[in-house]
Amino acid sequence: MRAFKFTPSSEPEAAVKAVKANSEAKFIAGGTNLIDLMKEGIEGPSELVDISRLNLTQIRSTSTGISIGSLAKNSDTANHPLVRRDFPMLTQAILSGATAQIRNMATNGGNIAQRTRCPYFYEVSVNCNKRRPGSGCSSLEGYNRNHSIFGFSDKCAAVNPSDMSVALAALDASVNVLGADGKTRVIKFNDFHRLPGDTPQRDNNLEHGELITSIEIPKSNFAPHSYYLKVGDRASHSFALVSVAAALELDGGKIKQARIAMGGVAPKPWRAYAAEKFLAGKTPSEENFSAAADSEMKAAIPLEHNGFKIELGKRAIVLALKRAAAGNA
Amino acid sequence: MARDTKVIGEAISRIDGLLKVTGGANYSTDFPVKNVAYGFIVKSSNAAASIKDIDTTAAEKSPGVIAVLTYKNAPKVAGSGNLSGGVILQEPKVDFYGQHVAVVVADTYEQARYAAELVKVNYEPLPAMVDFDAHKGEAVEPQRGRGSKRGDFDAAFVAAEHKVDQTYLTPVYHHQPLEPHSTIAVWEGSKLTLYNASQVVNGVQNAIAAVFGLKPADVHVVTPHVGGGFGSKGSAWPHVVLAAMAAKLVNRPVKLALTRQNMFNSVGLRQRNVQHVRLAASADGKLTAIGHDTTTHTAVTGEFIEQCGHLSSMMYDAPNASIGYRVLPMNVIIPTFTRAPGESTGSFATESAIDELAYELKMDPIEFRLKNFSMTDPSNGRPFSSRATAEALKKGAEMIGWTKRKMQPRSIRNGDFLIGYGVAIGSYPSRQVPSSTLVKLKRAGNDVTATIETAASDLGTGTYTIVAQTAAETLGLPMDKVEVKIGDSEFPPAAGSVGSIGAASFCNSVSETCIQAKNELQAKTGRTWVAPPTVAQLMEAANLNEYQTRVDARPSAEAQKYSSHAFNANFSEVWVNAYTGAVRVPRHVAVTGAGKIINAKTARSQIIGGCIWGIGMALTEASILDPRWGNFVTRTYNDYHIPANLDVGTIDVAFIPEDDRVVNRLGIKGVGEVGIVGVAASIANAAFNATGKRVRDLPLTPDKLL
Repeated sequence: MRAFKFTPSSEPEAAVKAVKANSEAKFIAGGTNLIDLMKEGIEGPSELVDISRLNLTQIRSTSTGISIGSLAKNSDTANHPLVRRDFPMLTQAILSGATAQIRNMATNGGNIAQRTRCPYFYEVSVNCNKRRPGSGCSSLEGYNRNHSIFGFSDKCAAVNPSDMSVALAALDASVNVLGADGKTRVIKFNDFHRLPGDTPQRDNNLEHGELITSIEIPKSNFAPHSYYLKVGDRASHSFALVSVAAALELDGGKIKQARIAMGGVAPKPWRAYAAEKFLAGKTPSEENFSAAADSEMKAAIPLEHNGFKIELGKRAIVLALKRAAAGNA
Repeated sequence: MARDTKVIGEAISRIDGLLKVTGGANYSTDFPVKNVAYGFIVKSSNAAASIKDIDTTAAEKSPGVIAVLTYKNAPKVAGSGNLSGGVILQEPKVDFYGQHVAVVVADTYEQARYAAELVKVNYEPLPAMVDFDAHKGEAVEPQRGRGSKRGDFDAAFVAAEHKVDQTYLTPVYHHQPLEPHSTIAVWEGSKLTLYNASQVVNGVQNAIAAVFGLKPADVHVVTPHVGGGFGSKGSAWPHVVLAAMAAKLVNRPVKLALTRQNMFNSVGLRQRNVQHVRLAASADGKLTAIGHDTTTHTAVTGEFIEQCGHLSSMMYDAPNASIGYRVLPMNVIIPTFTRAPGESTGSFATESAIDELAYELKMDPIEFRLKNFSMTDPSNGRPFSSRATAEALKKGAEMIGWTKRKMQPRSIRNGDFLIGYGVAIGSYPSRQVPSSTLVKLKRAGNDVTATIETAASDLGTGTYTIVAQTAAETLGLPMDKVEVKIGDSEFPPAAGSVGSIGAASFCNSVSETCIQAKNELQAKTGRTWVAPPTVAQLMEAANLNEYQTRVDARPSAEAQKYSSHAFNANFSEVWVNAYTGAVRVPRHVAVTGAGKIINAKTARSQIIGGCIWGIGMALTEASILDPRWGNFVTRTYNDYHIPANLDVGTIDVAFIPEDDRVVNRLGIKGVGEVGIVGVAASIANAAFNATGKRVRDLPLTPDKLL
């Protein structure tokens, strides 16, 4: 681990200014991802600006929905009564990720900004375009069982590891950001993470020094019929092979609106727009769920070892929709 | 009134437990050593190469760095010491990815770790053999052939009415104990002290002594507590040598701890096995032929194979059998003993094939097994000293509720889940090996305390406790009057905690020593006692306040005339998600005949641990080698999935009482290894019963059951 300067901060504006002033500085909050990356020599910031004491931990209802502080802990967020009542799928998603110990340290801003767990990204002795741009991708012709089937490029096929982000994508969340100029901006969740294209080193659209202050989720009628399904290689603490956030708004026995996002299949949380569109106005039947899943997964492109994700993805969409339709008892 | 000293067999909590949960137990790197420096390993990024040069300039200039140990400045060694993984830093050559090529020594761990990134190694790559699946056809007979034959397998197999001919695959597994391997090396003149996590105290002592040309007595190994080992701490690995070399180089004690990532390339592994099993039976369900051919790999630096076919050779009394091995030397770290080596992976193949043949015969798999074993070991013609297979199958069937099982797969469904039941049996050889004990008795009035000293080790499994129980009961003292001192090479040499030899070797030795102490004291009193005297009475009558005696215990010759094994039966209830293929094991039953159980609680925990290992083997664990570079793609606990709380359901453990005085005087068979044997097959058989899908390629990840 490279030696670094540790800069405490008590105000968001000061923290932003400090990071902006040093191109090698990074924010640190829970540290559950960054510290690992620093230990292994993947990240080597010269300065860490500590934001863990900033007053950005509130979870409160707003006129338009709910606002979740970027520095609220994952466990506090998952177990907050408002979240449990209005967005139970978010609770399920957060609790399906990591371990209790990690969730107790990890913050919401850190969760959505966490980096991929592609093993080649972590293995510094091999090439990786995300770690060393232009060096080449070791996963495309390597062991890519848990890599993307959507949205990848010839530069990178790593998946985004966050469960929380999948639920937030389905719920049409947005991310509030404080910039170096003191101005705030709002990033729609679907625009927060990036596809790799030719610049896989950039996971998201935050500029250097920009600080996530809160995540907003708009009001919706999905709470009674939503479900987060995660399929991993292990029941405890493993990253998703495939996960599905499925939410239905039912009206008179018909699907008024469906929201589906997938994890483990793409470099960013993958909104299944084709499946959502297919389900609008249909009855919530297994047959329709299956056809919706087919409509989404037909665009998938498998790599050498991850072809199973297409069939698994279909089945996971069907099961998640089935459980969402059955309702949250 | 005297407190109860009948403690053998009781469920007694570990006497070292309080120390551990309060942080008082010192593991290797916990020992406070003055002026200690920290080492960090630089690993090879090539699987085979000669090293043209190592540039340590930048690392040496980095803050806090004291020295960088490489092949250039490493002391020349006196011998190999049969070191697992080969002698280290003696030539500019690399035989596997991750091999240690340098150690940076600095004032702090972080300084050493950072400077390790600055060491530049210039490799001349050489052809490397790292793709087992592509080259397994080139595997050859092992140097030490371990195959066996009886009858005429080929003729019997060809002639048989019913047969199974299948190949079963298991991946590379890593031990990954929770405590990574670590060493503190301290030189005082030509004497070396090693605080080093070890399963075999004297084994490490002798190996390191040979490497440095020292007398074993000049190597002091201290390892009072070990945080798991599972075979990986059974031998000395190169990092132990590196710590001692580095300490010599910088003339300071050096602490060297492997990272979790280092653990995949530093301390052995369980190799990938391709097992071709052929079974044949007559229409009435009598096995006529067993063939078991294993193709596996070892390292280019040495040969180690696990005996996957051993269980097939002795479990069933088919008249014809053929067991064979082929091995491919590869540029990977050398494999080593891994929990129930051979039996655990071998039983997956054998017991899956037995299940397949039972289906072929339309026989209940319990009935099929009962029909095909005998009380004589068919591999050597010796009688089993005891064998609880039938009792374990019967009891286990009751415990799991076997009558709920339907022979027809996919018969039981609950909501989104397909439910199935499976069974598999297992065994592991029981042995006592030479082990010495010193007992020291002290008396103050009627109060006697005993100290037991032996260079045994405790992996967290209960050695301290069973030794204390044995001594307490034999001496007629309460448990709290017995102090146990182990994990130190200054104590009398002992067996290791390996191969299920620990309990039998330690406890028989402790028992013999305590009996000898009483006999010697009685002789000293010169009296004939009507009622059996207490140790306090004996010491008083002999006019002694202190007394000590030592026994070098040996196994009996009688035991050699028999085959002795612990036998078990496993039953699994498995739920498979019909949509996602995810497998869960809500209930597993393990019934074991393991002779005398010294401690009902620690033995139960050992079996549960074995079952959890079996769940990992069946469902979640696999190390993946990248055939381009020979590195493990799975390189942390994130990628290498050991089962955790949600993956482990209820595990019900029962023991079949046995009084086997042939295996050893106390009748102990050992429980460390047998617990895992048969578990993976039991789960895979249950998954077939649930889904109708036979997975012969572990682990049973969701993609294989879609």
